[in-house]
Amino acid sequence: MNNLISESIVSEIASFNGIKIYRVKSQKFKTNSINIFFYDNLTRENAAKNALLPAVLRRGCEGYPTIRDISLYLEELYGSVFDCGVTKKGEHQIIQFYIEYISNKYAGPDIDLTKKNFDLLLNIITKPVLENNAFKKEYIEQEAQNLKELIESRVNDKMQYVVEKCLEEMCKDEPFGIYDYGSVEDLKEINEINLYEHYKYFLETLPAYVFISGDIEDEGVKYIIDGLSKIKRGNIKSIDKTKVEVNVGEVKNITEKVSVNQGKLCLGFRTNTPPDNKDYYKLVVYNSILGGGLHSKLFQNVREKAGLAYYAFSRLEKFKGLMVISSGIEIKNKDKALEIIYKQLEEIKNGNISDYEYEASIKSIETGIKSLKDSQLQIVDFYFSQYIVGTNDTPDDIIENVKRVTKKDIVDIAERIKLDTVYFLTSKE
Amino acid sequence: MNIRTIEYKNIDETVYIHEHSSGLKSFVVPKKGYSKKYATFATHYGSINNEFVMHGEKDAIRVPDGIAHFLEHKLFEQKDGSVMDKFSQLGSNPNAYTSFAQTVYLFSCTDRFKENFQLLLDFVQNPFITEESVEKEKDIIAQEIRMYEDDPNWRVFFNLLDAFYVNNPVKIDIAGTVESISKIDREVLYKCYNTFYHPSNMMILVVGDVEPEEVFKQIEDSVVAKSSKPEIKRIFPDEPKTINREYVEQKLAVAMPMFQMGFKDTGFNSKGIEGLRREIAIKLILEMIMGRSSSLYNDLYNEGLINNTFDFDYSIEENYAYSAFGGESKDPLAVKKRVVDEIKKIQSRGLDKESYERIKRAMKGRFMRQLNSVERISHTFISVYFKEVSMFDYPEIYDNMSFDYVKDVFGEHFNLDNLAISVINPV
Repeated sequence: MNNLISESIVSEIASFNGIKIYRVKSQKFKTNSINIFFYDNLTRENAAKNALLPAVLRRGCEGYPTIRDISLYLEELYGSVFDCGVTKKGEHQIIQFYIEYISNKYAGPDIDLTKKNFDLLLNIITKPVLENNAFKKEYIEQEAQNLKELIESRVNDKMQYVVEKCLEEMCKDEPFGIYDYGSVEDLKEINEINLYEHYKYFLETLPAYVFISGDIEDEGVKYIIDGLSKIKRGNIKSIDKTKVEVNVGEVKNITEKVSVNQGKLCLGFRTNTPPDNKDYYKLVVYNSILGGGLHSKLFQNVREKAGLAYYAFSRLEKFKGLMVISSGIEIKNKDKALEIIYKQLEEIKNGNISDYEYEASIKSIETGIKSLKDSQLQIVDFYFSQYIVGTNDTPDDIIENVKRVTKKDIVDIAERIKLDTVYFLTSKE
Repeated sequence: MNIRTIEYKNIDETVYIHEHSSGLKSFVVPKKGYSKKYATFATHYGSINNEFVMHGEKDAIRVPDGIAHFLEHKLFEQKDGSVMDKFSQLGSNPNAYTSFAQTVYLFSCTDRFKENFQLLLDFVQNPFITEESVEKEKDIIAQEIRMYEDDPNWRVFFNLLDAFYVNNPVKIDIAGTVESISKIDREVLYKCYNTFYHPSNMMILVVGDVEPEEVFKQIEDSVVAKSSKPEIKRIFPDEPKTINREYVEQKLAVAMPMFQMGFKDTGFNSKGIEGLRREIAIKLILEMIMGRSSSLYNDLYNEGLINNTFDFDYSIEENYAYSAFGGESKDPLAVKKRVVDEIKKIQSRGLDKESYERIKRAMKGRFMRQLNSVERISHTFISVYFKEVSMFDYPEIYDNMSFDYVKDVFGEHFNLDNLAISVINPV
């Protein structure tokens, strides 16, 4: 077992039955955490089921059969925090379970928090509350209703909603077009029996990554590995690669009308650059120059010079190779804003990148990468994201790669980025 | 240079304190092994300070709503352009926020701390506001206000404050309205600046892997008190002890109703340990009544009256204090009825000692989590600093809390006459 690991060098400490275990050793945090990720292809067939699973599992497990029992126990463990849920990364759906608890030295000598917290987490995942060899009907019905409400409530946060909708519309004929939580229609088909079948598929066949982080003694780590090795596993599913390169036809224009005061403008692009491609870091710098911060062309021109918006940014969806531009504007200013945005894209294509924009972009990325070492969750997410796309870069490698990107590289990559969809959320009047 | 040190051995944290001759207090919380260095320069001035007497004047002035936030935007403008560009050149992230009682300027960086810190010290002390830039900022802030108008979480919260308060300026949106900011000009911005940005009304906090002596030396060299410590007279309108109204409703583009409800607090002392103790006691009681381990939460959840979005909090400042709890619900008024029933039940039966002990221990443990994050430390430290306490006193308050005190606070705060509810319904 390799124990010489700091938060910037994380490596595998065990691997069996499709479960890979990593340790992030650090003494600077006051808490420890255990993260378990299962991942699956993002498919219409499984999306809603995968989303419903953690919601049902968190309702109770052997020994702690209700939310109340679990909560009482978490309180007894000096306020441990447990959570679970789903996200998507490219065309993968991730089911995450997480527990965080204070380091033993703040709790006193007569309690082993690592064992107790891990046992609870493992119980929640592997020993759900069952009735007649299926999930508890009541839990399924309630959580299906909650999930339905969650899907319908997407519209509440307009800023996030419009970005997600834009990318979904762009990819509506691809797996990426599926929402992280599936759809309301797919939920209707789920019951306590077929979800329990799906649960077995999830537990036995989906590949998993486990991250143990903080100041955990070797004994505790060994205990976790032992516990995980007892999960009954079958043939591990092989997961597809996200398809990134897609030809773009004519630009799609979509307008959605709801009752709002501010218009939300969103532009979705295909970068045609997968995250394991050697050109990926050129794209990262390109995005930073375009809309990745206060130094960026979008912030400077849409907000500071034209005063059209409070926010204007661009962001990458790394795994699917998408880029999105987003801004909140006065409805009547849509054309003006579009004109300024198109102009910025042209400027980069024409090589009009100032030294300031170029240098500030590279430094800003460097700061961001170095900063993530201060959060256990971000460290874990960083490495997990690397592993699922098959890159093994450390934060330092990334900084090196980014520093090597030249202005010419940025102009080159600009040629590959194609506008696919313009999405506008506007008022009903 | 006189540096004071307070060591909090039970949580492995140390605070270094320095007082400048101008009256400015500075603090360093070293975090060994952290990459990020997070520095803040804050003034005890926020959106609620819209009426005051300027130093040396007789009469009070009433300034336009949203001006503290407007000033926050404008301070980034310097003689030679926006100071944001200079931070960007160093690869750091400057930011600022205005709350009810504070305006906070900050940056986070991983390298070249000294240069970044110098920028912060200089730009906050040297406003350069032109008429032209004020006009342009109005367009940008108008879009910020528009964004919040469409944000149901924001609206449901401010509508609750409006239900609580008749006159207290806390009910006014921090950014003001498009109309109120239209009245802001350069002159009135300077009036606010000159009144509230004297070093004696401000504080500096640095959290990260830095040397306290070097930080304080830089402050010694850069902070200038241009005038003697001015007297600041903040004027607050009288506020009745009763609530403004029981129910407020607004329609927005949401899928399902949202609500926030809570109790307007009266008869409290926000300052010092006493304020912190009350805050902790009420948060503890809320956790006991409606936290995830409570029977109320579980009943409401099982009946589909609340979902995962349900949450609760308590705020206490010099002139106002309230609890607030809510989330999404198909029937907010049914939730209200159940909360009222539960409180009546506890009023006759009393609080449960066993859950009090368990939850106290859990909350203390969860406090430790905050200490992992330089941002979280800064945020909490500043918000309690202006109430004249240190956030690192929290663990000790938990240890010294008594059940009798908590019972007394329950009796005071959960007064059903002071319960108000704000609902956002779908259009």
